[in-house]
Amino acid sequence: MKISYSWLTRHVDLSGVSAHDVARELTLSTAEVEGVHAFLPHLGDVTVGHVVEREKHPDADKLSVCKVDVGQGELLQIVCGAPNVRAGLKIAVATSGVTLPGDFKIKKSKIRGVESNGMICSERELGLGDEHNGIWELPLELRVGDKVASALGAQDWVIEIDNKSLTHRPDLWGHRGIARELAAILRRPLKPLDAAAQPSSASKNGEVAVRIETPNCSRYIAMAVQGARADKSPLWLKRLLLAVGQRPIDLLVDLSNFVMLDLGQPNHLFDRRRLSADGIAVRMARAGESMKTLDGAERKLEPSDMLICSGAAPVALAGVMGGESSKVEGDTSQLVLEVATFHPTVVRRTSTRLGLRTDSSARFEKNLDPDLPPLAAQHFCDLLRTEQPDVRVVGTPTDVGDWKSTARRVPMRFERVRAMLGADISDDGIVDILQRLEFGVEAHANGACVVLVPSFRGTKDVTLEQDLVEEVGRIHRYGNIPERELEGALTPPPRDEGWKRRMLVRRVEDRLALAAHFHQLVSYSFVHDALLEKLGLAATPHVTVQNSIAEGFSRVRRSVMPSVLAVLESNRRRSASVALFEVGKGYVPSEGHEPLEVHEVALALCAAPAKKDARFDHNSLARLKGVVEDVVRSLGLEAGAWSKCDTAPSWANPGRCAELRIGDVLVGELAPLEPGLARALGLSGELESDTALARLSIDALLGAAQRSKLYQPLPQFPDTLVDVALALPEERAAADATAAIERCGKGLVAGLELFDLYRGPNVGEGRKSLAWHVVLRASDRTLTDQDVKKFLERVEREAANLGGVLRRE
Amino acid sequence: MTYSPARVRELLTRIAEPLRAAPASTELSALLARLDAFQQLPDERLDATTALEASGAPLGAMRAIPGPSRGLVGATANELKKLAEAELVAHAERAAQAALEAERNASDFDATLPAARVERGALHPIVAVTRELEDLFTSMGWTVLDGPEVETEHFNFDALNIQPDHPARETMDTFWVATPPGAPRLVMRTHTSPVQVRAMKRLKPPFRAIVPGKVFRNESVDASHEHTFHQMEGLVVGKNISVGHLIGAMKTLLRGIFGREIEIRLRPGYFPFVEPGFELDARCPFCKDGCSVCKRSTWIELLPCGMVHPNVLRAGGIDPEQWTGFAFGLGLSRLVMLRYSIDDIRHLLGGDVRFVSQF
Repeated sequence: MKISYSWLTRHVDLSGVSAHDVARELTLSTAEVEGVHAFLPHLGDVTVGHVVEREKHPDADKLSVCKVDVGQGELLQIVCGAPNVRAGLKIAVATSGVTLPGDFKIKKSKIRGVESNGMICSERELGLGDEHNGIWELPLELRVGDKVASALGAQDWVIEIDNKSLTHRPDLWGHRGIARELAAILRRPLKPLDAAAQPSSASKNGEVAVRIETPNCSRYIAMAVQGARADKSPLWLKRLLLAVGQRPIDLLVDLSNFVMLDLGQPNHLFDRRRLSADGIAVRMARAGESMKTLDGAERKLEPSDMLICSGAAPVALAGVMGGESSKVEGDTSQLVLEVATFHPTVVRRTSTRLGLRTDSSARFEKNLDPDLPPLAAQHFCDLLRTEQPDVRVVGTPTDVGDWKSTARRVPMRFERVRAMLGADISDDGIVDILQRLEFGVEAHANGACVVLVPSFRGTKDVTLEQDLVEEVGRIHRYGNIPERELEGALTPPPRDEGWKRRMLVRRVEDRLALAAHFHQLVSYSFVHDALLEKLGLAATPHVTVQNSIAEGFSRVRRSVMPSVLAVLESNRRRSASVALFEVGKGYVPSEGHEPLEVHEVALALCAAPAKKDARFDHNSLARLKGVVEDVVRSLGLEAGAWSKCDTAPSWANPGRCAELRIGDVLVGELAPLEPGLARALGLSGELESDTALARLSIDALLGAAQRSKLYQPLPQFPDTLVDVALALPEERAAADATAAIERCGKGLVAGLELFDLYRGPNVGEGRKSLAWHVVLRASDRTLTDQDVKKFLERVEREAANLGGVLRRE
Repeated sequence: MTYSPARVRELLTRIAEPLRAAPASTELSALLARLDAFQQLPDERLDATTALEASGAPLGAMRAIPGPSRGLVGATANELKKLAEAELVAHAERAAQAALEAERNASDFDATLPAARVERGALHPIVAVTRELEDLFTSMGWTVLDGPEVETEHFNFDALNIQPDHPARETMDTFWVATPPGAPRLVMRTHTSPVQVRAMKRLKPPFRAIVPGKVFRNESVDASHEHTFHQMEGLVVGKNISVGHLIGAMKTLLRGIFGREIEIRLRPGYFPFVEPGFELDARCPFCKDGCSVCKRSTWIELLPCGMVHPNVLRAGGIDPEQWTGFAFGLGLSRLVMLRYSIDDIRHLLGGDVRFVSQF
């Protein structure tokens, strides 16, 4: 909201207080000021001139050549095209070197062969409105050579206040409200409003009949006015309106706006000739109804919209905008002024639904003080009469509704105020602050009192003792409150589930980012429909938002994996290998309940395809498996067991998906990217990739069994190294053979490393050869050739049991 | 005795002398001829290896040497052998030392050649900053809490004193989850504040807690706005907690973040779940008299905060007459951007490894 500094001075003396001071005081005690800037700064550059002579341009009918006195001794010759320029006028001159709005720099020039040393300005050229029928004729009493701004007293500053910081303060949506704050802060009196001195007598059965048929209008004042003319507004009014960004139109419209911007109370003028004799009805719209608003748009109405009607026909969208049909025409002299109190939510919903945010709706939706309308009506009347003394109010104004004053009493304890603020303010200091804010204080006993909240503060902002704490604190200034240390016993946070999860997640992150050199992602929780489609999950229930940020981006991930898949291709395109992980949450919908939250880590390793003759473990799947096992080990868990997964997740190649169980707990899956999905994601063909994915459940890891952390004695006898190669049927799992070899050691196998996997003519179709480095060791003696021989004999028998043979070189 | 060809010749002469005096024999003549042949070699060929070979000639023909000379010849030959062996060892050591010296005086060294490639990964900057704050607060006895991203309307709005007709509830800012008619309405939480009330219901006062997490706003996205971003809620409930405590805690927080004393100011701000509510500004840590970060004002709007509204305490089952508290909502995403001078918020969740790998 724009506030004019000079407008404020109509309500409070600001001598010695600059616009920047006002901005600072308001920021620290009231609301956020976004900026302060000079109003029409070029008015300070433009000079008051006197047209001494005017002659017709020798070569152009419509141009004049003027001799202008700008107080420099010598007269300036200026060529001017305005029809109204004539000798004797006082005018605004932009001399050469001056820059006008629109970055228009005035220079010495020749116009049709005649030298011109500046420009005589119209109002529009100075940013003062739309008037461009001729040059601006200044009052004749101005002194030649003065700057226009100071000569007219038009110096002003515009203070921009963040509307969001005023949402709870309907009283601050006009200059008087802001001035009231400044008066309290600066300890200066608020100047009385003339209207307050002469309360108008209104009645339920006034001149204009008004019927309220909805509870959403609590007060409606209709005042009939006769003899008003839609003249041009006086300069002071235009200037103030322009300063706050309002376009001056004519006196009637301008005064209506002025009253709204001055007191914060919107109001509306109807052309009385265009209202029905039945008067005015306030009601909710009926289904199928529509009306044309002042901006010329035809609006379809809904039963949630409130209407002002004349007879049966809507003439205004209550609190939002007037109707085209009752618009005040230039020739009218009979008006009806509406000043009302409408329900904030009803106004907001209508204005939001229609996308029609007006100065009026912005104020009504804040919940206006129902005591304000009579004051506003009188204020309008007084201002109008000052300009047009023959205007008169017809009959008695009508004032109907079942409003209740929002003034209220709130009990307050002085000690509580001090304790909440942590500030040592005396009882008297507290009372003083409240009174400066126009709160009353009564029944002062036993450290408590009753505070009388004025109606303009009681609409919603101040209802509790806590609200009074704020009033005292902000005027006392929070910066005057001494800082305090928190006190109390320092205990470590409880080692609960949340703590355990956080610590586990940290270890997983550290292991992946710092040891395995993966990059961590933090992604959106929304997944795109196109990706779910590719994953074959389009039909799976997801938590879905009704109002998505973009088409197809309404679903919340059930698992973290889609988020990782979403960025795989773009990263792989930039790099030969990509290693990513994300720790995050997924949500599984649960009909009628809060969705189930899952905590997961998703991993992806995506690299150029392995070479044909690469070792069996030189590929993304084997590498990622190593990373997963390292994570599990670093968490201090038992190693767990891998097995083929029968219910592969949709991202996994179902023929090559492994699952990891620790004890009975399934902790996750590991697989190459599903090949069809790889194609759909663009990770095949030109960007052919070897992609492995893994998912680990944080919840499962939290519940998995811990491995023993007891010390193992160091070996005292030497190792004996034996290589074992077995030819086995393809379907026989490596883990089975490894377990068999371990058994054959009868406790002597101290280490096992599978180092080779071979398929080819030497082992035959449907078979594979696996080779291990085996470390044999006894804890009580050095092993002999005999021990090794017996071991290999046992392996040979076991190999046969597994359907294979021990391979000898 | 140091090795020299002259010394070798001298020993060879001493070996030959008694032999020449002895009665002649074929073997003896052959031996003398060999010794003479060694004597004839020029100095440069009379190295330790040759000397060792020369010492081997008499030692290998001991039986041909007449008894009286045998002892003397043998001793002298052994002396020659030792001399040669010592020289061989010394020579090897000299060669080793020369090699070390050559290694030290490398002329092919370029300090600017690139390093071998070491793979590296990275924690996401949001995670890194979150951890830093968690560590700061837990060191002061605060608890770290977590809450759901899909939240009930109750915790996100009602329990936080956000009235049913508050504009924020309507579609402008809130992502509403489709729920069956009659079921409790769900939203993507618009702030981490709902965890305030969840915490009150779970923890017994007094307590201090922070809640880092993801939040959602249905806003159009540009360089400084995201529909998904991160916040960190803070909540303290205790006896006689006051605005003064809030100021103290916020100064401690800023000292922790920026590593030095930062001037702050509180000014009025309106949030339904606090009363009084504040905006906390910090003196711009990047400039003295205005820069682009503080929009030339020397103050940075850092976080909203305030004293917990009595209605919120009540919603959490806490008696506001017995207990008071303060709360704050730190914009984690914004803090991360400030910390690393990130100019576009969309990088944070954009998933580009080139971004993450910088941290």
